Formats: sequence, C-alpha cells, structure tokens
Amino acid sequence: MILCYYLFNWVQMYQEEGLNSAVIFRLWVIVIVAGILLTILGTILTNIVLSIAHAIKTQTNTEPRFIEDERDKLIELKGVRVAYVTFSVGVLIAMITFALGQPPLIMFSLIVLFSVIAEIIGSIAQLHLYRRGVQYG
Amino acid sequence: MDKRRVTNNIRKLRFHHNEMTQEQLAEQVGVTRQTIIAIEGGKYAPSLELAFRIALVFGVPLEEVFGYTAEDGSA
Repeated sequence: MILCYYLFNWVQMYQEEGLNSAVIFRLWVIVIVAGILLTILGTILTNIVLSIAHAIKTQTNTEPRFIEDERDKLIELKGVRVAYVTFSVGVLIAMITFALGQPPLIMFSLIVLFSVIAEIIGSIAQLHLYRRGVQYG
Repeated sequence: MDKRRVTNNIRKLRFHHNEMTQEQLAEQVGVTRQTIIAIEGGKYAPSLELAFRIALVFGVPLEEVFGYTAEDGSA
C-alpha cells in the first residue's frame, strides 16, 4: 500500500515537473514514517483480530497460545538474513547507478524500493521455510 | 563424512502415553503444535534443550526418543 502510494506520487511528480529533490525527500520521509506507523498498527490489529477469531472458533474465553518457539525464531532469523542480503544487493545497485552518473534521487528511490522488496522476499523466504522445513546451519 | 539425519519415535511414544495429542505434548514442552508436527515429520531437528524436555515428558532417555542414523538406513 505504501509502495503504491510512493510509486504513484513519484510517477506523478516525474510526469508533471520532473524530479524535484525537496519534494521527493519529503515524500521519502512520509513513506518511511508511514511504514513504521502502519507496521505497528497492523501488528496490534492483527493480534486483536486473531484473538477474536480464536475466541469465536473455540467458543471459550481462554488466552490463545500465540507463543514463538525456537523453530519460529530460527525461521525468522533466516528470513531476516535473506532480507538483509536482498537489501544489500539493492544498496549496491543503487550506488552503482549513482557512480554511473544518475542523480542522487534515483539512488535514494532505489534504496526505498529495495527496502520494500527485501521485506517481501524475506517474508516469502519465511513462508517457504515453514513449508519445506528448516535445519540448523 | 557420511550423511546422517535425526530420526525420532515421538509418534510411537505419544501413542504409548495414553494417546497423547500433539497439542498436549506441545503445551508440556512449551512449543507450538506446528513445531511438534515438524519434528515428527523429520522437517526440524530440535535443540538439545527441547529434545531433553520431550524425553522428560515421556520419562525415557534421550536415545529412546531420538536417533541419529545414516540416510541409507544403516545405524
């Protein structure tokens, strides 16, 4: 959703007035702050919805066992590693574009884009590990 | 080094302990049912501490719960 907002504004700005650094940096800050706030809000809402769904499904008032055990932590760590590598590659690509003479705005935009892509790939990697199984090492 | 993998008898042990469910075992050792399913299915090798906790629930030595056998089936 945030990525769509960012890309929509970016394309609109590009078509209308070209890349204006002051505006795009403001957009960049909005995207990052909105990302953090929405993540916190999303986590709280997800927990509330899951608790309600659990209560309805089990017809009890007991606390659901949303525990994170060692396997979850291992999978999360591996997912974060995948996301980190993806983001590192993205930063490298962004820096290469800058070295090749592109404006700094392209570099910053690529960094924002790759941070979102890295999050998505990290989550996909976690889903894959939950399905396939995971081993230490 | 020959290839080995961690095997287990959890399903059999659960059956011999009043047909204990995966959920009950999970609660007693403090993990999710999904983790017990993954261990039973050989998709996850637990930590040493969790392995000991599982053995403790069944009241048997660790070797009776887990094995470390060669992939070709030899011991």
